[in-house]
Amino acid sequence: MLGRGERAPDLEGLIPDGPLLLSFVKTDCPACHLALRCLDDLDAQFGDAGRIVVLSQDDRERTAAMSEGLRLRLPARLDEGWSASAAFGFEAVPALFLIDGEGLVAGSCQGFDKADLNSLAANLSDLLDRPRVARLKTGDGTPEFQPGCVSRHLEPESDAEPAPLPGLYDLRSRRASRVEVPPGVEAEEFCYQQGFADPLPVVPPTVERVDAAIAASGLEPAEVVAHIPPNYAPATVEKIAANAVMAGCLPAYMRVLVPAVRALCDERLDIHGVQGTTHFAAPLAIVNGPVRREMGFACGSNVFSNAARPNSAIGRAIQLVLRNLGGASPGTIDMSTLGNPGRFSYVIGENEERSPWGPLASDLGVAAGRNAVTFFCAEPPRAVSEHKARSGGTLLRAFCPVLANVWSHRSCGRSEALVVIGPEHAATLQRSGFSKRDAVQFLYDNTGVPVSEYDGDGGEGTHEASNYEECVIRGVRCYRKFARPESIRVMVAGGPAGKFSAVLGSWATGTGGSQMVCHEFE
Amino acid sequence: MSITLVNPMDERALPNAIPAPRLRSIEGACIALLDIGKAGGSVFLDRLRTLLHQKYGVLEVLRYRKPTFAKPIPESVLADIRQVQPHAVIEALAD
Repeated sequence: MLGRGERAPDLEGLIPDGPLLLSFVKTDCPACHLALRCLDDLDAQFGDAGRIVVLSQDDRERTAAMSEGLRLRLPARLDEGWSASAAFGFEAVPALFLIDGEGLVAGSCQGFDKADLNSLAANLSDLLDRPRVARLKTGDGTPEFQPGCVSRHLEPESDAEPAPLPGLYDLRSRRASRVEVPPGVEAEEFCYQQGFADPLPVVPPTVERVDAAIAASGLEPAEVVAHIPPNYAPATVEKIAANAVMAGCLPAYMRVLVPAVRALCDERLDIHGVQGTTHFAAPLAIVNGPVRREMGFACGSNVFSNAARPNSAIGRAIQLVLRNLGGASPGTIDMSTLGNPGRFSYVIGENEERSPWGPLASDLGVAAGRNAVTFFCAEPPRAVSEHKARSGGTLLRAFCPVLANVWSHRSCGRSEALVVIGPEHAATLQRSGFSKRDAVQFLYDNTGVPVSEYDGDGGEGTHEASNYEECVIRGVRCYRKFARPESIRVMVAGGPAGKFSAVLGSWATGTGGSQMVCHEFE
Repeated sequence: MSITLVNPMDERALPNAIPAPRLRSIEGACIALLDIGKAGGSVFLDRLRTLLHQKYGVLEVLRYRKPTFAKPIPESVLADIRQVQPHAVIEALAD
């Protein structure tokens, strides 16, 4: 692969004079699609055409179909016979080369990498002596990095038909078909017979109802909000609206449901893995901001159960989208051993008005007072009941044995937890002067598994014990349960009376599993 | 009056995957085993490797591993397997 300072090959006018950013792509490569959408935005920012040049390794027809599917304004040229690809000598696409005004390579990268793309775009701005273009953002639902695919010119020769375009990053999709309910059949029963929903009765998604939901969203019906794993069906606004209607949503709920579906498919959450797990995990949505009161979300009594229509209906709509568009029906993809009641609906609002601290979303980067939806793939809630503790320390010690058991009793350093503190417990902590940070630190410091629990004949977590951090908690040798204080997140929810709280354990965590995601919305 | 509904389901016609051609024999073959990263998988695959060598005359058994069971196989691991071009790849789910 040509490196910095080497001369770009002369390709008989295929590539114009620099400075420019040259990108090799092929049409069935998801990482190329990610890169092309970013390059299209960059090209628009540079104003005059021609500074970003795309060379497709596929024929005119497939290239045009890809450009149309991605709604690219950026034209693509063709590397016919892959002579340019071979001359630049890369192995994977997308392959990007920054070429300066002298025709020398000034930078390059392979695969989709936001940091590399930002660096190349900044250097191109400098070469053109222009203000630097806006940086690609992190946390917008697209991955920070995705490996590319093998370059077409290095693929083994084959007579087979090329793979169909996966369309994973298409922005538009086909409109939903219409289905006539046969005469004499109840519409609700028809939906059940067709497998449209969970086993509970649904509101039939009539054209009129779905159109009202689409209109309330202010979006085009064919616009793709996300692709739902593991089958990656496009969740168009229209499909989301149809599932929202079935779940009992009012049209206005699309304001929360659409950003929730987008957040659900943020790759950091890894809903792909959660959809097929045998574990208990289900995606829990936590709503913050003024929208809670404006729309009537339950944040107080019965917050985890059936207290308010927005929680119940939006939560059910999320589950129907996962099932009907993601393909995760129980007994097929969804093979959870015992399941989770949250698979019907799992949405809570934070009781910000009764919290002595800032909202959960502000711990995750969204300013207090803004609307946000946070997803955490969670076990069902575990109860913490403590009616006598008068100090914050005594109270929090009642949480520690519950926290010590999340994921698996002897497994340490791998799990995370969400601690939902009831308002009465929150008031006790406030009286004792605990900030949220203090409470988290206390829980981290005082949660461990006694070393004596590891003297049996094995068991989950024991084979990794040599890597655990040993500590002493109230005179007992323990292994520390959590890798870091940030593994424990704290929020306030629940009704005004009752000294109860809850602990929710995680699924597999970190970059190799599911990470909590928080998306802001209007 | 008839009622018309908007189809809420995935309507794409997904192509059926065509199984790879079956090997007539694995004697003398090169077989790749993909460990999906679940606990205990390596113990099972160690035993499978031994049986493939001893009982079926497999010449070479190559081992690959997903970095995490929680996510699909990365393209880089697939590329490694493709580069070697084994006669067969065995991938199994376990729990």
